[in-house]
Amino acid sequence: MPTEAIDPPGIQWLRVSPTYVTVRLVEWVVGNLLAVALFSVPLLLVLLGAWRWLPLWLAVALPAGMFLLALWRLVLIPRQVRAIGYAERDDDLLIRRGIFFQRVLVVPYGRMQYVDVSVGPVERGLGLCTIKLHTASVATSAQIPGLPAAEGARLREQLTARGEARLAGL
Amino acid sequence: MTEPNPTPASSAPDDDWQRVHPASPFVRGWFALAAFAYFFGRDTLERMLQGRPLIDDYLNARVLWLALGGAALLLLTVVGFVLSWFFTRYQVSGGYVRVTSGLLFRQHRQARLDRVQAIDIVQPLLARIFGLAELKFEVADAGESAVRLAYLRLKDAKQLRATILARASGAETTTAARVIGAGPPAVQRIQGAPGAAGPHGDLAGIDGSGAEPGHAPASGTEPAPASLGPGLPGSQIPASVAPTLLPREAPEWRVLTVPPQRLLGSLVLSEQTVFIVLGAATSVVVSVLTESVAFAFALIPAILGIAANYWGSFNRGFNFTAAISPDGIRLRYGLLDTRAQTLPPGRIQAIKIHQPPLWRLLGWYRMQVNVAGYGGPSAASESSSRTMLLPVGLKNDVFAMLSLVLPDPGTGQPDEVFTAGMAGLGGRSGVFDGGFVITPRRARLIAPLGWRRNGFTATDTALLLRSGRWWRELVVVPHQRTQSMALQQGPIARRFGVADVVLHTTPGPVTARLIQADVEAALALFDAQAARAREARSRQTSEQWLAQVAPAHVPSSPQTQEGPQHG
Repeated sequence: MPTEAIDPPGIQWLRVSPTYVTVRLVEWVVGNLLAVALFSVPLLLVLLGAWRWLPLWLAVALPAGMFLLALWRLVLIPRQVRAIGYAERDDDLLIRRGIFFQRVLVVPYGRMQYVDVSVGPVERGLGLCTIKLHTASVATSAQIPGLPAAEGARLREQLTARGEARLAGL
Repeated sequence: MTEPNPTPASSAPDDDWQRVHPASPFVRGWFALAAFAYFFGRDTLERMLQGRPLIDDYLNARVLWLALGGAALLLLTVVGFVLSWFFTRYQVSGGYVRVTSGLLFRQHRQARLDRVQAIDIVQPLLARIFGLAELKFEVADAGESAVRLAYLRLKDAKQLRATILARASGAETTTAARVIGAGPPAVQRIQGAPGAAGPHGDLAGIDGSGAEPGHAPASGTEPAPASLGPGLPGSQIPASVAPTLLPREAPEWRVLTVPPQRLLGSLVLSEQTVFIVLGAATSVVVSVLTESVAFAFALIPAILGIAANYWGSFNRGFNFTAAISPDGIRLRYGLLDTRAQTLPPGRIQAIKIHQPPLWRLLGWYRMQVNVAGYGGPSAASESSSRTMLLPVGLKNDVFAMLSLVLPDPGTGQPDEVFTAGMAGLGGRSGVFDGGFVITPRRARLIAPLGWRRNGFTATDTALLLRSGRWWRELVVVPHQRTQSMALQQGPIARRFGVADVVLHTTPGPVTARLIQADVEAALALFDAQAARAREARSRQTSEQWLAQVAPAHVPSSPQTQEGPQHG
């Protein structure tokens, strides 16, 4: 992954585990299959003859469009996962994400109020975890998904130690 | 676990458990009583007005049951009120405020005094008639909404506020008031080890030799305040923290008052009025064209709603007075329901100066602030009035308020810089623009009007972000208040080589976002701001804010609040 324009120069990004793609795939399947199934209901009704007012092409186009959109998202997943990165600097943690809509977030260690480590069912199966940092601002939303459990534990300890050393007021 | 232990070493009168004013439940529950009176009184009144006998045959048979039922209901309500009063008690001691309430479901709340963010005295109309007031304070660490004490006599409420503030913030205690929010609860959760005293190293290092010898070690060894529970042993709280003398209410100096005419004018010149005028014109045209008046009746609810809205704004903003006192900025406002807010300036996270297009005619501005604990999404109208630092004011007023909340502007020419932030346009050669870095010219396609307004500049103490050609806006974020930052770029912005910088702050009306800055400039700002925030945090000086403001507004006041310092 080449560095993007808004990445601060000279940052060595640590990437999340490639197996996180699997987690995203499972989420994708659950989310998008449901959506496609939902949008297929009109088609079914038209085919069964219950709905006559809806033209057939529209009834087909709805789920087809949904499906194409889902495919597009599917194609993006590996790149999105590769775009997630984090870097520990001396005084703050950098988190980046996104390809089209990029975001680089910096959280000073002294501002962290607490660190959450959460593990979902799929993540547990793959030995991954998600680390979430909380500051006094709800807008921060700093999370690093798809960390290997060992790396997650290391990061949590590291962040905690650094946060403690640099703890500041509000 | 029903009776919380009183503090053993409490000899001062304010250490005892006290009850709120006996009339409180009646004032709070007046609606129930009014409904009651309405239900039983309406019929009687109607009969009286119509000249019919008060009790006719139809009613005669049931009057006994009605009266009995009514009496029972009334009795139950009153007994409930009395019980709820009896079981509501509060205590101020040992650096904590505790409130217990409830008969069946007992509730115990406590809040650390040195975490008090801001404190309000609220007087709804009925309470005001009886000379009562509600005391309400925001605490950074509790994670829940404000602690309320309702109702006390106004005098007692003021006294209590003075006590709390004197112990909690600037005027008396110099310790610990600054280390808020991210203190023990945060660390507890990070470490997962209760009782650890780690984070107060910096506190002791800076303030340990300060005015109160008993305080710095105390805040290092106290248990986690997040563990709100009825059984907190009082013995762990050193009694030396509590001063034995009652502090008087801190004196104050008025800074500005918003005249009612200006408030009215600001309402008339609001965007809402424009919509109303447009809407009225449309409805007149429609009714003329359709030759039907019935259409107008449909508008009545809308008119009522709008009138209520205007009234609400007027009621809230009426007689807005700002004053400064040793314990914070005092804001007073309200026509029927009055509220007196005390806002320690060190607690202000971000400031917004805003000017809608119509206000430009008269040079008016509005100021809003983010205060930790205020900005919850619930009680929107309440929080919108509480975060208002100045409902409408001239440039002088804005500068006066700014000098309170940002005592050190951090620049040699504050007038020029802030004026440029409030009204300036960049991109003209030879005109000083306060050092604002604006959107590059190449991006004017995506910001045709605003590109010369969008900009940022940093003084030594704060970051200034301005935006909006018509709806002018200037956001000021003190460096040490930056929580985290994000650099964002969408596909279109990438084509134009611009990016947004978002400064995250506590919830509130102010969002600090620099839009469409040149990528290089944004990156530089991103790095520089992180460094500035780091440096500012390491030398936080918010305690001395009064000392910094005093020369301007307070000519000579050494006698203010130094008396009852030591316990």
